[in-house]
Amino acid sequence: MEPKPSTTPSSFTDQQVFPGDVVLDLSKMANQTIKLGGGLRQDGDVISVMKAGKLRFSKPNKYWVESSNKRYVPSAGDNVLGIVVDAKADNFLVDIKGPTLAFLPVLAFEGGTRRNIPKFEMGTLLYVRVVKANTGMNPELSCMDASGKAAEYGPLKEGFMFESSTGLSRTLLSSPTCPVLETLGKKLAFEIAVGLNGRVWVNAASPSIVVLVANTIMKTESLSPVQQKIKVESLMQRMR
Amino acid sequence: MDLEREGGRGANQLRPIDCSRNVLSRAHGSASCSHGETRVLAAVYGPKAGTKKNENPEKACIEVIWKPKSGQIGKPEKEFEMILKRTLQNICLLNVHPNTTTSIIVQVVHDDACAALIDAGIPLKYLAESGKILLDPNKLEEQKTKAFVCLAFPSSVHSVLTEGSINGIITSLTHGVMAVDDYFQCVEQGRAAITPLSNILKKKLQSQSAE
Repeated sequence: MEPKPSTTPSSFTDQQVFPGDVVLDLSKMANQTIKLGGGLRQDGDVISVMKAGKLRFSKPNKYWVESSNKRYVPSAGDNVLGIVVDAKADNFLVDIKGPTLAFLPVLAFEGGTRRNIPKFEMGTLLYVRVVKANTGMNPELSCMDASGKAAEYGPLKEGFMFESSTGLSRTLLSSPTCPVLETLGKKLAFEIAVGLNGRVWVNAASPSIVVLVANTIMKTESLSPVQQKIKVESLMQRMR
Repeated sequence: MDLEREGGRGANQLRPIDCSRNVLSRAHGSASCSHGETRVLAAVYGPKAGTKKNENPEKACIEVIWKPKSGQIGKPEKEFEMILKRTLQNICLLNVHPNTTTSIIVQVVHDDACAALIDAGIPLKYLAESGKILLDPNKLEEQKTKAFVCLAFPSSVHSVLTEGSINGIITSLTHGVMAVDDYFQCVEQGRAAITPLSNILKKKLQSQSAE
C-alpha cells in the first residue's frame, strides 16, 4: 500500500475522500483547536474519514465531510420535516428519517400549556427544528425557534411531500437562491418547505403546478446550474 | 509461472471489474458489482431503530441476508451470511449509532465465484495448484485446483502520513489442502493487488457521485 505523501491538509479539501483516509496529523499541528463536523473522527493522533464524500474546510478551523444520502443524521439546529408516528403523554414520536424516532414535547409550541395540547393524528406532516441530537439518545424537536416564537413551524396542511436525498435539500436551501427555484418562481406561484432530512413539501393553487414543481426539482438534482435553467425552461414550455 | 489460462490472462492479472452505485431507487443504499462474469447486487437499509434480542444494545447491529441465484436457502447461504456479517462488523464503526439495526441484502445475479464485498474491503481469491499460485480464478479453474483461499484486505488509503501502511487481513477463508508457505505467498500476492483494485473502485465511485 502506498500512502500518498503530503503533509498539508489543504491538499484534501474539496476532494473526494473515502473511509479510512487520514486527512490530518495532529502531532504536526501544535496548539490549534480544530472543530470536526460530520464524517470525521479522531483516531489517536490522526483525523480519519468515516463517510465517503467531499472534504470541506471553513476558516478558521472547521472540517467536515459533505455527502448526499437518503438517510439523515440528526444534528442540532436543523429544520426538518417529520411525520407523526405516535402520541404519548409527554411527547409526540416523530419520524425524521434518522436512525431513531425523535421526540417532540407536547409543550414545545408557542403559548403551549397543559390545557391546549395540539392533537396531531398519525401521519401528520410537521415542520420542526431539531433541538438536541446526541448519539444513543432520541433526538428532541421543537415547534418554536430559539426565542420561543412559532415562526412557521408546525403542521403543514394540504400540498404534496416527496422524499429525496440530503444533498438535494442542501442545494435547494443554498444562498444565492438555487437556479431551479429561481426560474420556477419567476412564472409560477407556489409555497415550498425544505427539510434537511431529504423531505420537500410543495403547495400551490392548482394540482398541476404542484406536480410540475415537484417533478422539476426531482429531475434536476444531478444537473449543473446552467443545465438546470435550461431543463426548467423546457419543462415549463411544455406546460403552456 | 507460465501457466496458460483461459482467456489469455497471466498468472497475476485480475478479471475486469465494474461497479455502480445507487442502482435501486427504494433502498437506502445500493451497489452493483461485477468481477468478470460474477455479478452481485447489494442493498442496504438503515440504520433503523431497535436491535435483535441477543445483540448488544450499545453497538449497532448488522443483519445480512444472502440470496443465491437459484435454489432454496440452505446452509451454504447461512455460512456466507455469517462470514459477511463478521467481516462487516470489523469494518464498520459500531458505536456511532447504538441500538440500531442495519440490514444488508445481497443478491447473486450471476454466479461464477464467491461474491465481491463492496467499498473498503476487497476479497481476492487465490488457488494453489501443485505449487503454482494464480490470482482471481473463475469457476472452472476453481474446480481443478487443490485448494483456494479467499481473502479480504482493507483497501488502500490516501494519507497525510508519510510512513505507516496498513497491515492486516480482515477475513480469510480457505478450502482444501495447501502448504503454509503457499498460504503466505497467497497473502503477499493479494496485498500487492490491492492498490490497483482499490484505485479502480475509487475511480468508479467517484465518477458517479460527482455531480
